[in-house]
Amino acid sequence: MPQSIYEKYGGFSAISRVVMTFYEMALESDQIGDYFADVDMARLIDHQTKFISSLLGGPASFSDERLEAVHRALAISHEDFDEMGALLKAALEQHGLSEPDVRTTLSAIEAKRNIIVARTAA
Amino acid sequence: MSIAAINEQLLRAIGVGVAVVRASDFGFVFHNQPFAEWFGTPGPHAALTDAIEGLSPEDLGPLCEEGLRYSAELKIKRKRRTLVFAINISLASHLDEALLVVECQNITRIRELESMIDSYSAMVERNTRELEREKERVERLLLNLMPRQVYEEFKTFGVVTPQLYPQVSVVMLDFVNFTDFASRTDPTVTLGELNDIFTAFDRIVEQFGCERIKTIGDAYLAVSGMPEPVPEHATAVAHCATRFLRYLDRRNQSHQHKWQARIGLGTGSAVGSVVGIQKYVYDVFGPAVNLASRLQVFANPMKIVAPAEMKEALSEEFRVTDIGPEDIKGIGEVHLVNVGGELSTPQPASRF
Repeated sequence: MPQSIYEKYGGFSAISRVVMTFYEMALESDQIGDYFADVDMARLIDHQTKFISSLLGGPASFSDERLEAVHRALAISHEDFDEMGALLKAALEQHGLSEPDVRTTLSAIEAKRNIIVARTAA
Repeated sequence: MSIAAINEQLLRAIGVGVAVVRASDFGFVFHNQPFAEWFGTPGPHAALTDAIEGLSPEDLGPLCEEGLRYSAELKIKRKRRTLVFAINISLASHLDEALLVVECQNITRIRELESMIDSYSAMVERNTRELEREKERVERLLLNLMPRQVYEEFKTFGVVTPQLYPQVSVVMLDFVNFTDFASRTDPTVTLGELNDIFTAFDRIVEQFGCERIKTIGDAYLAVSGMPEPVPEHATAVAHCATRFLRYLDRRNQSHQHKWQARIGLGTGSAVGSVVGIQKYVYDVFGPAVNLASRLQVFANPMKIVAPAEMKEALSEEFRVTDIGPEDIKGIGEVHLVNVGGELSTPQPASRF
């Protein structure tokens, strides 16, 4: 079985560093920062690390139903989603993921766009 | 550079926020760079309790009066980020003027990592439990296909060495008119009936320390004396056989479908092994199995037929009557006996 991106970069510890960097950037972003102003960051980082890990072949799993449920009330727009993708790309690059692996990761996230972006904002 | 200057330089350089304030009015005497970054540069008349939100003069009362060290964890919102600080304040009272030394550490990341560790440990434990359960399921499944001792060998070495067991007894049961029944009954009903009956047989077989090897359609095959040798293998299979019939008899009284079976017993040698590589199944074959299979055909419905060589072993516990010699295909002439009911209630010979 080919090695997953999750395994290739060192599992949870590596992914969690990317996610932490991502949230530092996200909090600074005027586009999406306010979404994170009042959330419990420890829990969010934990969830997000498991989520990204699950997309990259890690052991955690998230159902699309759950993903939809947690984002339903947030009214996330396509612009927000694009900004999130751009920041995640920067975070992945900063942590040394190769260009093809960054692309794979982003396309895995992109596949979830319709679940995360609010239906009415589409 | 004087020692005092070096100390001050150090206090400025470390990643811990440090401030020194007067105990009398909490006015600032000194603060270093990290402190200013987190709490803002204090103005000339600012007090410590103004600079650190969440810290009140009442909190510091016991510290100034009794010299008790003050420790707290404060959550402070900086722009969008909520930061967690561990704050320690102690009294330096041996100086001319009572001063408070304030140390602040940003422990946001530590708290985040701690909560992640908790969450991942829980996840790992959950996954481990699931794996354990899965392992048990696989084990149960394999134990349905082969005896435990064989399974242990299979688990350890990945293969099972075929083994010859010189002294075993076999019971083979076949239902009368099964094909006819199956053809005129709904398959799920047929399967349900077989499942019900075979489950009861399994319990009987286990009770007498025998091993169910397989069911072939409506035929049921069990052995005694393998993989572990048992001296009373002949009586063990005979007890199973009489119990099978008694069970069917009682079941027929209360069930819609009436089942009748013929049973053949066999004794002698048999080979046991896992057959196949992918769809492996533990199987037995050899003279004892062939004999039981052939003799079952000679049995009348709800009767048990055994070779006369088992007579001696069985006559103490069963009513055994002679049938006489019969020519058995592939085996030759064999003296047969009919095995009737048990003479007394046996002690189940459980292996455990």
